Amino acid sequence: MKPVIRIDGDPVSPVSYNTLVEVEPGVYSILVEGSSYEVYIEATRVDAGQVTVAKRHFDYQVDDPRQWKRSGDTAGGQGRAAILAPMPGKVVRIMVALGDEVEAGQGIVVVEAMKMQNEMKAPRSGKVAAIQVKENDSVVAGAVLAVIDPAPPDQAR
Amino acid sequence: MRSVRLRINRYPDSSPVTHSRYNRITVFQKVLIANRGEIALRVIRTLREMGICSVAVYSDADRASLHVRKADEAAHLGPAPSRESYLNIERILDAARRHKVDAIHPGYGFLSENAEFAQACVDAGFVFIGPPASAIAAMGSKTAARRIARDGGAPVVPGTEEGLVSSLEGRKAAAEFAEKAGFPVMLKAVAGGGGKGMRRVDRAEDLSAHFDSASSEALRAFGDGRVYVEKLVENARHIEIQIFGDQHGNMVHLGERECSVQRRHQKVIEESPSPLVAWRPEMRQRMGEAAVLAARAAGYYNAGTVEFLADNDGNFYFLEMNTRLQVEHPVTELVTGLDLVRLQLEVANGSPLPFTQDQVELRGAAVECRIYAEDPANNFMPSPGRITQLAEPSGPGVRLDSGIYPGWTVPIDYDPMLSKLIVWADTREHAIERMLRALGEYHVGGIRTNIPLFEVILKDPAFREGALHTGYLDALLKKPGLFDLAPAPELAAVAAAAVAALAKPVPEPIVASKSNWLHGREGLLR
Repeated sequence: MKPVIRIDGDPVSPVSYNTLVEVEPGVYSILVEGSSYEVYIEATRVDAGQVTVAKRHFDYQVDDPRQWKRSGDTAGGQGRAAILAPMPGKVVRIMVALGDEVEAGQGIVVVEAMKMQNEMKAPRSGKVAAIQVKENDSVVAGAVLAVIDPAPPDQAR
Repeated sequence: MRSVRLRINRYPDSSPVTHSRYNRITVFQKVLIANRGEIALRVIRTLREMGICSVAVYSDADRASLHVRKADEAAHLGPAPSRESYLNIERILDAARRHKVDAIHPGYGFLSENAEFAQACVDAGFVFIGPPASAIAAMGSKTAARRIARDGGAPVVPGTEEGLVSSLEGRKAAAEFAEKAGFPVMLKAVAGGGGKGMRRVDRAEDLSAHFDSASSEALRAFGDGRVYVEKLVENARHIEIQIFGDQHGNMVHLGERECSVQRRHQKVIEESPSPLVAWRPEMRQRMGEAAVLAARAAGYYNAGTVEFLADNDGNFYFLEMNTRLQVEHPVTELVTGLDLVRLQLEVANGSPLPFTQDQVELRGAAVECRIYAEDPANNFMPSPGRITQLAEPSGPGVRLDSGIYPGWTVPIDYDPMLSKLIVWADTREHAIERMLRALGEYHVGGIRTNIPLFEVILKDPAFREGALHTGYLDALLKKPGLFDLAPAPELAAVAAAAVAALAKPVPEPIVASKSNWLHGREGLLR
């Protein structure tokens, strides 16, 4: 089975080209029927990242059944939701306490980066199951700030 | 000792330069730059051209920054927070003493408009490359600056004479002025700068609340909560005049820069000449003369900028004076052909200005874009991080003053400006086309930049016509779908081809090849 290449989520067949040369690490020069394209690839994982061509940014994902087992859905779904730092920064304020019931969209943690404060919001309603940071902590991009457990339907009444 | 030897090894040709114009030797052997990033590098480059040794300073966050790599010497200041490093006068003076410098260049931002710092440099025996501390202090208070400009004969926007504190009397005085002048009015911090403590007020009933928030913001930013009230000039252009004076009483103006394209009172694009001045050529001289009057009244020398609000009828009003080299100085350098940093150094060591007003010639058009690590399509969210790839524009008429390199991580501690892209061409239209071409060559991987914003502005018909005012960009950004792009299935297919090549690397055949180059040379030699 050939790997499936997804561009912005949709499977896309690669264009048939005349020649393709990796001119620098992650930079490809592709000639398609005489037209010249320069493509920049930034892998953020072994099988995914960003690809840029003619100033257009796309997300890509390679589904290769021979190499990678797709792990379970980590980000979305109905389960626990982690709130991640979108960029490196500093925690300036924690707006909830452990065990608080929160609504979807409610502010949970404020992270400051580059003189801008960004309020990280709850992705869904539920209960604050963990707070992984304290005020004044420095965090890296992708650090888990807090975890929200979904409100079980039976407990909601 | 080590530094001297290093410098001789690296730059065997650099030695103190004889100024042919005056047949004298520069006073400065070594200059410390009390700043970071692209402006520190900008100053280092001129110092190197002049054969002067450069000393960079850096905080913990900047050890790997480009200005440290490119300087002849570097001194550690302290931890990342500015108050413990780039804003710490004592630590900067310590570094200057340790490295035995003659003079200190403040760059822009940080301590560049701090009169106490300018005076402390002089008191410690260093030349401060900038205006006298007294002129910085005089122009630092916006209300005092307005008085100086008005008394010097420059037109000012009607406003309250004194700064007002957030008290019953203060709010009352503000309300009385606003009633008399008519709404809308602007509230501004007396110690202001960078858009902090500024509020537009449209209705009398909003005045109190805005007054309090402007005042508390000013107090936090500058340690001074005083606010003054100005009549708001609607749809005004922001046009500023570059002035330059020496210590012998000579003062010239070097044309204008239009900086009307602003977001949240921060400049985004600057250009010279101003499209307005192109339509009304007499304005350059009128504004230039008013700027020189205001600067003279403050006892000014070295580089400075006088900012005006102007309308399309040719009226203009003094806004404030910036007592430093500006971020956007390169557009003036490109249309005048001057190196303003070199001029700053010459004037600081006591040389007279090497030209008169009549000899200033402006040629062509220059445009500057401030490239920031922020994502315009996502509400200008800051985008710090590691720069994984970098393709920089070059070619005819392109200048890039940059502080970044591939593999460097943009620190979260400072202003997110990455670089300034400046182009020059014979006309404004050609300069805009050239800027679009240069932006197309610019690729910064790993982080998001505001390059897409410039592509939108530079293609906007109103911008192309020069129909600008300070509210122009905020209005443009309200248009929905500004950064939405049409689907591009062909480009997605090209992208997929590169991804496929990445996913399945073709092993390179390893064959010892005979050098064709050598062959060719043999052929030639034969």
